[in-house]
Amino acid sequence: MPGGMELKNEVLASSTCALCGACLDWCPYIANIEDHLVLRFDCNVPDGRCYAVCPRTFADWQAISKKYLPDAPENIEIGPYFKAYKVKAPIGIEGQQDGGTVSHLVKTLMEDQLAETVLLTGSDDHITPEPFLSSEISEIKKAAGSRFLASPGMRKLIEAQARNVKKFAVVGRPCQIQALRKLDYNRKPDTPAMDVISIGLFCMWSLGWDFKNYLQREFPGEEILSIAIPQHGFEVTTDKGIHEVPFEEVKKFIRKGCDYCLDMTSELADISVGAFEAEKGWNTVLIRSKKGQELFDKSVSRGFLIFEEYPEAELERLKGASIGKKMRGLSAAQEAFDRGVKPFVDLNSEMYTNVKKLAEGKVE
Amino acid sequence: MEWMIIANEPGKTYLMQGNEAIARGALEAGIRFAAAYPGSPSSEILAMLGHVAEKADIYAEWSTNETCALEACLGASFAKVRSLCIMKQNGVLTVGDALHSASLSGVRGGLVLVVADDPSAHSSTNEFDSRHQARAAAVPMLEPVNMQEAKDMVKWGYELSEQLQQLVMVRTVTRINHGRSSVTLGELPQEKPSPAVIGEWDRMVAINWFKDAQIAKLAQAQEIFEDSPFNWYKGPEDPDMIIVTCGTGWLYSSEAVESLGLKDTVGILKIGTTWPLPEKFIVKHLVKTKKVLVVEEVDPFLEQNIANIIAYHPELNIELSGRQGQKAIPRNGELNPDIVLNALTNLTGKTFARPETVVIPQEEAVALPPRELTFCAGCPHRASFFLLKQTLRIHEGQGVVMGDIGCYTMGGQRAGHFLYGFLCCMGGGINAAEGLGNLSRFGFDQPVVALAGDSTFFHSCLPGLVNAKYHDSNMLFVILDNSATAMTGFQPHPGIGLTAMGKAAEPVSIQKVVEAIGCQVTVADPFDIDGTTNTVYNLIKQPGLKVLILKQECATLAVRKREKPRVWVDQDLCRGDDCGCGRFCSRVWGCPGNIWDYEAGKAKIDEVVCVGCGVCATLCPAGAIKMEGGKADE
Repeated sequence: MPGGMELKNEVLASSTCALCGACLDWCPYIANIEDHLVLRFDCNVPDGRCYAVCPRTFADWQAISKKYLPDAPENIEIGPYFKAYKVKAPIGIEGQQDGGTVSHLVKTLMEDQLAETVLLTGSDDHITPEPFLSSEISEIKKAAGSRFLASPGMRKLIEAQARNVKKFAVVGRPCQIQALRKLDYNRKPDTPAMDVISIGLFCMWSLGWDFKNYLQREFPGEEILSIAIPQHGFEVTTDKGIHEVPFEEVKKFIRKGCDYCLDMTSELADISVGAFEAEKGWNTVLIRSKKGQELFDKSVSRGFLIFEEYPEAELERLKGASIGKKMRGLSAAQEAFDRGVKPFVDLNSEMYTNVKKLAEGKVE
Repeated sequence: MEWMIIANEPGKTYLMQGNEAIARGALEAGIRFAAAYPGSPSSEILAMLGHVAEKADIYAEWSTNETCALEACLGASFAKVRSLCIMKQNGVLTVGDALHSASLSGVRGGLVLVVADDPSAHSSTNEFDSRHQARAAAVPMLEPVNMQEAKDMVKWGYELSEQLQQLVMVRTVTRINHGRSSVTLGELPQEKPSPAVIGEWDRMVAINWFKDAQIAKLAQAQEIFEDSPFNWYKGPEDPDMIIVTCGTGWLYSSEAVESLGLKDTVGILKIGTTWPLPEKFIVKHLVKTKKVLVVEEVDPFLEQNIANIIAYHPELNIELSGRQGQKAIPRNGELNPDIVLNALTNLTGKTFARPETVVIPQEEAVALPPRELTFCAGCPHRASFFLLKQTLRIHEGQGVVMGDIGCYTMGGQRAGHFLYGFLCCMGGGINAAEGLGNLSRFGFDQPVVALAGDSTFFHSCLPGLVNAKYHDSNMLFVILDNSATAMTGFQPHPGIGLTAMGKAAEPVSIQKVVEAIGCQVTVADPFDIDGTTNTVYNLIKQPGLKVLILKQECATLAVRKREKPRVWVDQDLCRGDDCGCGRFCSRVWGCPGNIWDYEAGKAKIDEVVCVGCGVCATLCPAGAIKMEGGKADE
């Protein structure tokens, strides 16, 4: 397995980095401030954990999917899943983005002791993401709502290992769940496995931290209270009122590394959660593993969540959006490959050939 | 050996360093004033004068820069006080305007300017030949061949200076300054004259009206030099060849002539008054031969001026060789006996039976590893360069760093992760950065960082900082404040609170000076790698001029004041080559105190070299480097 220099050349210098953070803190070479993640000094380690765990270095992703999600029926559009639901928490939580589903799944994890520690991402200023490890139900509200700036939260994995956490849970973006699976998949036989349950978030992209400076320039002196994407456009609520930011403006700040992403719905997670686009105040939940099913069932039986059957039309729309993202990612990956960047997926595999075929029918 | 320079033992002979001899010569001449800016190989002279100042009843100061030093001496000279000014060859360039102006105004009290050249630039960024400045400024120059002459020339320089009412330069080279040989002492004056009253119509004014006087003084000097005891010829009356030489070249030439047994055919014309040249004296001797070899340090200065003399004297029919002619001597670099010997064997055809070379069998030979210049163990500059390098990499904006002159000049090499890409002279970094930072209006968006040490800050950065502030250049000015002029041997500067004479003074606060100019200042500790990295990151993101003082005392000084903590590696915790850090402490951090224990396959601290700064303990990913004990300041 290659090391830090290869990570630098294939990922960091090629701007394919997803800023998942999984490579951070293993060694003294990789450094991060805000959304910059670099190799600060030349590394001479030939076999790097950074390279092994990175979601943007090559892996047999289908084999990883089979290993960790062996039971759910395969789905080429949104990854393997048993069941899709329309979900929300009947009693909301302050600051929640949609249906409050993730917050209540985490609460269930803690109450039912499915996990002793959970990786969450909060923010003190409603914009700057701050990943943290939590074992306290009272801390969940700190993580409520969405973070739009990319955060290298997976660095906290090492902290969890150092704390000797036996049962761990991660709430993360698709790239972070990929890193989580890859870490275990490439694990050396002599290192113990971690019992992890993963709650994957739907993600179209994340923003570079320059967006924060942009907001400060646009709304000087105003304190940001929340950021949301209701139906169309971007809504920034400050102490002075609600501002609409045109989506065209926001798009300029999408991280380059997100262009290569092939996964909108966290296809490797035990359970994936996103917005339910057709109706405000609801979430979409995809259950992908038995662990995910158990967590969902416990949350429902505790009365934290209620659910409805997922409308067929909405499922088709979700699959179309996912395929659209895959197609954009594939063409970016192909373009990177053409300019000499080592691909992180097998672009000619049967799966991606099928994605392209499918796309012809589904993507507008 | 300061006692030797004030020992009142005329006729007594001591083994003296050239710099001691120079200080002694000035004291024998009755100086009351001395000013210098430190720079190798000249630094010991003022340091010694400062130590003996009270006993010798003189004033001595480490001036803020060379111009301050020379002009301070001019002030003393105005009151007819004899003064000594000392600097290295770079200094005589800094001082150019003052020197050329002073040569127009002339002097009243004797003023000798000692310039120590550094052939091969052992401890300089260039090997400038200061004789060009003497010629350009029309200032008489003397050049000693040994320590005795160094003393005698400096002493005589005051008589000459007062006779001509002109300042006099004495040029030495490293081997004279730092070499030692026998010096016979002269008398020290019993009484020293008090400063004279400066009358209403007394003048020392530098304007071009005095150019004729300046030229006349030079002509008068030339007449005096024709009979100077510092110039002599030794050799046969009809030599096949004459070696014209000055400075250390005389020693090497004498040795070469002796070794080759050429005393009956090769003569040596030794010149001690290198500017203006004693033309008649030189012609009188050169007319005896057809071949001349010029042996001198650095540039073919003597050679070109002899070519000039030959051009005006048809009676001379000479094949001239030297650093220029026939390429007899390499154009670049310091002389040594072998170079002169080779030149002479090539020109005379005489062979030299060298002692047989003894070849040590390979298995017995000890291979000396090549060594780079590096920062001392615990040096705060290592931490500063480390964190600046990583911050610029993290920022990903391809920051450009402009270096400057001091210990931190070594940061352009591996010791400083090849941080800076620009290096000019003292104070050059901030000025170049000001220019670069002002290109932002044309779309130049790379962060610009300028470096300067604390001594360099006072020496030549103040006008640059005012310039950068006034024009609001987009740049970060980093002052690496180690509270020392460390490179040249810890001479105090205005920020230290100590004078050359060992007296306490109120230190000038760099921070207050910068604030007074109107700049926002951040002060940070380079040993706090993570914290200061964030500080630097946030500073370079801001537009306009930012000033950062990275403050941490020079380790070599600090370790003398404190009980040093013990830093060691807990080898049970060090994961060796399995760590994944790739021997970060010894390979990347690179402090001489961090070494690799090849037997254990683990990291180790060389506790003899380590000064206990503890920065490596904060960098070890395994937490294997431990620190205990030690006391803070005093």
